[in-house]
Amino acid sequence: MRQGKMRTALTMLGIIIGIASVIIIMSLGASAQSYILDQVQSFGSDMISINPGAPTKGPPAAVQGIVVKTLNQRDVESLQNEPAILSVAARVSGQSRIIYGSNSRSLIWHAFPPIGFEMFNMELSSGTVYTETDSQAYNKVIMLGSKVAKDLFGDIDPVGKMVRLKDFSFRVVGVFAPKGAGIFNFDDYAVMPLTVGQKQMLGIDYYHELNAKFDPKYDANFVKLRITTILRQNHRITDPSKDDFMVTSMEEALTIITSITSALTVFLSAIAAISLIVGGIGIMNIMLVSVTERTREIGLRKAIGATEGDILRQFLVESVILTSIGGAIGIFTGAVFTTLAYFGVVYGVGIAWSFEFPLSAVALAVGVSAATGLVFGVYPARQAARKNPIDALRYE
Amino acid sequence: MIRLEKIGKTYYEADGGVATLALEDVTLRIHKGEFVAVMGPSGSGKSTLLHLLDFLDRPTHGKYFFNDRDTSTLTDVELARLRNKEMGFVFQAFNLLGRSTVAENVELPLLYSDVPVFKRQELVQRAVRAVGLDEKIHVPTANLSGGQKQRVAIARALVNDPSIIFADEPTGNLDSRSGGQVMEILQDLNEQGRTIILVTHETYTANYAQRRIVLGDGKMTIDEPIDNRNRGNGLIK
Repeated sequence: MRQGKMRTALTMLGIIIGIASVIIIMSLGASAQSYILDQVQSFGSDMISINPGAPTKGPPAAVQGIVVKTLNQRDVESLQNEPAILSVAARVSGQSRIIYGSNSRSLIWHAFPPIGFEMFNMELSSGTVYTETDSQAYNKVIMLGSKVAKDLFGDIDPVGKMVRLKDFSFRVVGVFAPKGAGIFNFDDYAVMPLTVGQKQMLGIDYYHELNAKFDPKYDANFVKLRITTILRQNHRITDPSKDDFMVTSMEEALTIITSITSALTVFLSAIAAISLIVGGIGIMNIMLVSVTERTREIGLRKAIGATEGDILRQFLVESVILTSIGGAIGIFTGAVFTTLAYFGVVYGVGIAWSFEFPLSAVALAVGVSAATGLVFGVYPARQAARKNPIDALRYE
Repeated sequence: MIRLEKIGKTYYEADGGVATLALEDVTLRIHKGEFVAVMGPSGSGKSTLLHLLDFLDRPTHGKYFFNDRDTSTLTDVELARLRNKEMGFVFQAFNLLGRSTVAENVELPLLYSDVPVFKRQELVQRAVRAVGLDEKIHVPTANLSGGQKQRVAIARALVNDPSIIFADEPTGNLDSRSGGQVMEILQDLNEQGRTIILVTHETYTANYAQRRIVLGDGKMTIDEPIDNRNRGNGLIK
């Protein structure tokens, strides 16, 4: 191996790329998972969401584009009367173009009661929040996400200014503080009173989602059961398999998200691992070349007392050393790229990303690279061990 | 030490067809401390006999007793261990690892023995000193002359303190002067009590031995003592 340093280095590239890819994907996967979980957990473990549509193992019906009209004001009031539940926020959402002067852009807006600001941990950078009175009076007031405000108003403070959505004029009452990129931030959204969104923008009498905050002294499963019982009564459902709503606790949401991100990481790592197979074949190739080049050496070693086992071991060890060095370089390369990605995400995209470099990924990389050496080294090593020493000594 | 009884070797084609009788009914004894030259023209069976004697090959018929032990009952691993402990090898083409140093080459047989690591250095130095290459001990063997390379090979053959040394045309790739030096070393080793089995087609090299075995068409045709008055003729010492 020492004789063809360049050849050996090029052969190791496959292992290096494979291990580095697995490390990068596992690290970024762990970071993404931790980030998403942090975001979800920031809502607190005392949140339960109720979505319309039959329970599925996947996303709720509304997310899949199916319109289900089963959640209504009666459900909200029934849930508010349940002692275990502290507050309920109904929500509807829609997509419209928002216009200010000559500036316009498309956005997704949400409409919910003021209690939602507390539930979704929303903070203001200017202005104020709308009130229950605004909702009851159908006041067309709107709050903008920081990015929406920037897109429409630039550096001007939007509070007090009028914008148009659909056929209505809205007065901007507040702007949310920027949260950076993420799945539960409102930077790119606008928020309005529930009645305005539901009745005037959409003209519907049902809700897209209910969010309930329950008293932490109750168990989440108990509250889920209570909600299910109340909604079944309201919807006159006797057969549980016919439920037209889906109740999900934050705990379950976390489990689902964890399983999805984990499955994604495993899937991507498996794709990256394909390059390990290619790398392994490269190692087998170079080992076969090495066995041929060292035929006389093998003959000599056998003549002076090496057994087939000794020769087999020698070539296997060489193969494992080769892939382990490749693995070590791959881990280092992976660490470098993961660090670069971390700084890119934090300072480039602006997400509060946590740096994760799971030891399990390193252990896996070490194990996989050594195993690759073993698996792909066996055939060349057996070829070497089985060489007839007399023929090997005569080999030119 | 070595006793062959009607030993022979027949080679078969891979498909089991056409047999070649390479060695036929050779019976001989080689005693401890003997210096035997095996001679004969190409294809006479010299190499076949050598490989049967050094266990790199097994006979198809006859019996081979090494130190009164029937070798046909020994496994490949046991034969490898015997080669490692009891035998040293010197080849015409040296068979050294060119990029490795003299010390690394000489140490090679110790890697397959039970000599503890801390003792290997001492044994290597002793063997290298015995062939007069102390100053070259850390030099890669690719940088040595042919004669020096063969001396390294002899040091490698000696390092495990074997009782018998097989030398297969050891002067074949050397000039006359270097050949003479190598033969002198082998002769010294024989005088120290080691058995030397030399395969050669050169009469002047064979003259260093005490006994000559000549093969022809796979049969032993001559087994006679050598008149040592001719020792070294044809070689520059």
